[in-house]
Amino acid sequence: MSEIFINGIGAVTPQHTHDNARFLEHIEIYDHNNLRCVNPNFKEFIPPMELRRMSRIIRMGIASARISMKEAGVEMPDAIITGTGMGCVEDTEKFLISMIDNKELLLTPTSFIRSTHNTVGAQIALKLKCHNYNFTYVHRGFSFENVLQDAIMLIREGDAGNVLAGGIDETSDNHYSISGRLGFWKDKPVRNLDLLKERSNGTIAGEGSVFAMLSNVKGEKDYGRLTDIDTFISPESHLYTKQRIENFLGQSNLNPGDIDLVILGYSGDIRYDEVFDTIRNSLFSGIPAAYFKHLCGEYYTSSSFAFWLAAQILEKQFIPAVVKLDDLNPNGINNVLIYNHFMEHHHTLMLLSK
Amino acid sequence: MEELIERLKGEIIEVLNLEDVEPEEIDADAPLFGEGLGLDSIDALELIVLLEKNYGIKIEDPKDGKKIFFSVRSMAEYITEHKGK
Repeated sequence: MSEIFINGIGAVTPQHTHDNARFLEHIEIYDHNNLRCVNPNFKEFIPPMELRRMSRIIRMGIASARISMKEAGVEMPDAIITGTGMGCVEDTEKFLISMIDNKELLLTPTSFIRSTHNTVGAQIALKLKCHNYNFTYVHRGFSFENVLQDAIMLIREGDAGNVLAGGIDETSDNHYSISGRLGFWKDKPVRNLDLLKERSNGTIAGEGSVFAMLSNVKGEKDYGRLTDIDTFISPESHLYTKQRIENFLGQSNLNPGDIDLVILGYSGDIRYDEVFDTIRNSLFSGIPAAYFKHLCGEYYTSSSFAFWLAAQILEKQFIPAVVKLDDLNPNGINNVLIYNHFMEHHHTLMLLSK
Repeated sequence: MEELIERLKGEIIEVLNLEDVEPEEIDADAPLFGEGLGLDSIDALELIVLLEKNYGIKIEDPKDGKKIFFSVRSMAEYITEHKGK
């Protein structure tokens, strides 16, 4: 069975992640609950005349895709797979607002054309003139994991050698306001680094784009391997989740004690974080643990940030203090488990190994 | 006419999101499509909407588009000729 090597990775997120030479050296601090990306100079990735028609999410996607491709030394992937929970929200809103304002007349085409969920994957393919497999998964908190699952199958079945796989979502003022009415976000502004100190309902919103070049051959960069993935919906109990994680690790012939770092999706929402405490205490007591949503916020594909974090940790063999949940230090980092859930509905497991 | 040309340049920059272009850099007589600003068919649709939205002018015959949108000056001349009709 083919191994799935991570040969390149690119990330545009609310932190300074687009330069892979630096790893969370400078932390961006927010004192509001709607985190936006720190943008690279997009003109380095996209010609100005093309840039003018692209909304933020398309720019973020193309930039992070190109970073990962350049790092992996791949000019033409065999497949491009993207995952997004909300797609191009800003352009969708722009188009709908324009429809209302103009009484369904005088609609401009650009925002409509760019408002579909598969726009990012399509734009990457257009820029590369890539006619290969191109698919976009839109499945709320499973969107990014579905991308990885598809990439694993393509590579293991021999249908692709290099797969460009990414998770991407953008936030907007309207989206933040509407989802806030559903109780997603905290009522009062919270300093992002104090996310877990606030014992209240809700979390902070975020966005980001992470693309990885997955391959059946090991490249120059050693971000490790994507070993396995699992998804499950609304588990009936914490015990079920515990057993699911044990079974998941068992499929790779691992026990919880073999894990060198567990990255947990704590969001600071007291309604939903309890399961992470339970899993940490019952399965991973004495094992270093980390969290990430204080750096990127919560969004449907936020686990892509955790994926980026795990890959960087495996490559650099270093856990930045800002993500640590304890003072434990592993001797070496060979197996990293990511356990995340979105609003306690979509639960996901990812195993990355050296 | 010159005032209208300057106004049009600003509106074109805004609706087409020409981030790096200043109004004085646009030659009023240069072709908008192909060469010059290098606009394309999607831009043409945006300009049609601009004429209707900002000046109340609806282009009835699509064949006229090539002549009307040849340059900023040709647009201004068309607006002057048809505004209020």
